[in-house]
Amino acid sequence: MNRSAEEHLLNPPPGSAAARARDFGIDLTLLIQRLRLTPEERLDDLQRVMRDLEEARKSVSPFLRRKR
Amino acid sequence: MIQLRQAIEALARHEVEFIIVGGVAMNLHGSAHVTFDLDICYDRRRTNLKRIVAALAPYRPRLRGLPENLPSLWDEQALRSGTNFTLTTDIGDIDLLGEVAGVGSYSDAVMASVTVPLYGVECRVLTLDSLIASKRAAGRAKDLLVLPELEALREVAGEGE
Repeated sequence: MNRSAEEHLLNPPPGSAAARARDFGIDLTLLIQRLRLTPEERLDDLQRVMRDLEEARKSVSPFLRRKR
Repeated sequence: MIQLRQAIEALARHEVEFIIVGGVAMNLHGSAHVTFDLDICYDRRRTNLKRIVAALAPYRPRLRGLPENLPSLWDEQALRSGTNFTLTTDIGDIDLLGEVAGVGSYSDAVMASVTVPLYGVECRVLTLDSLIASKRAAGRAKDLLVLPELEALREVAGEGE
């Protein structure tokens, strides 16, 4: 990811798609992080997030069941 | 939860003609969107159907939502009887799409894809422009919600408009 793209996401020009995304609630710093990775690293990162969420879901599910 | 590496390697090992679309394609372009399945657009020619059957057979593919113990037919004939399939397998959920909304059939999707190196193989992935077109065409609330992020990514990638 080049510096100008990074700068564009850090300080989106008014009227740009990046500004619209920021105003919509998208965390553009997350996009900067992801764009610094190679495509394969992005998939590995997605896989890690899936695994973490799955583990979190398993660990809280007994408590959520008890609450019902 | 899909095992991405295993799924992609299995498809590539059997020389399946496929294009990564949906949430995983979004991630490959830099999206922070989380998805749990792999959506692919596949070539519906007979040789390719045979390859898909061979690639996924070891992972017991069955239609998602059906009871686990219900016998499920997985062969070329089953794939010929439909276009889109939502599968669950031992390595996670895989959606097979014969066509992509807003893009078209596999041959249209090939023209709307780029090649990305993944796990030692060259994989086709839908372009950002085409992902945006497909989300717009699908038009569901969940598709429209991802448009601002995809459009911002397209802007920094210098693709499209």
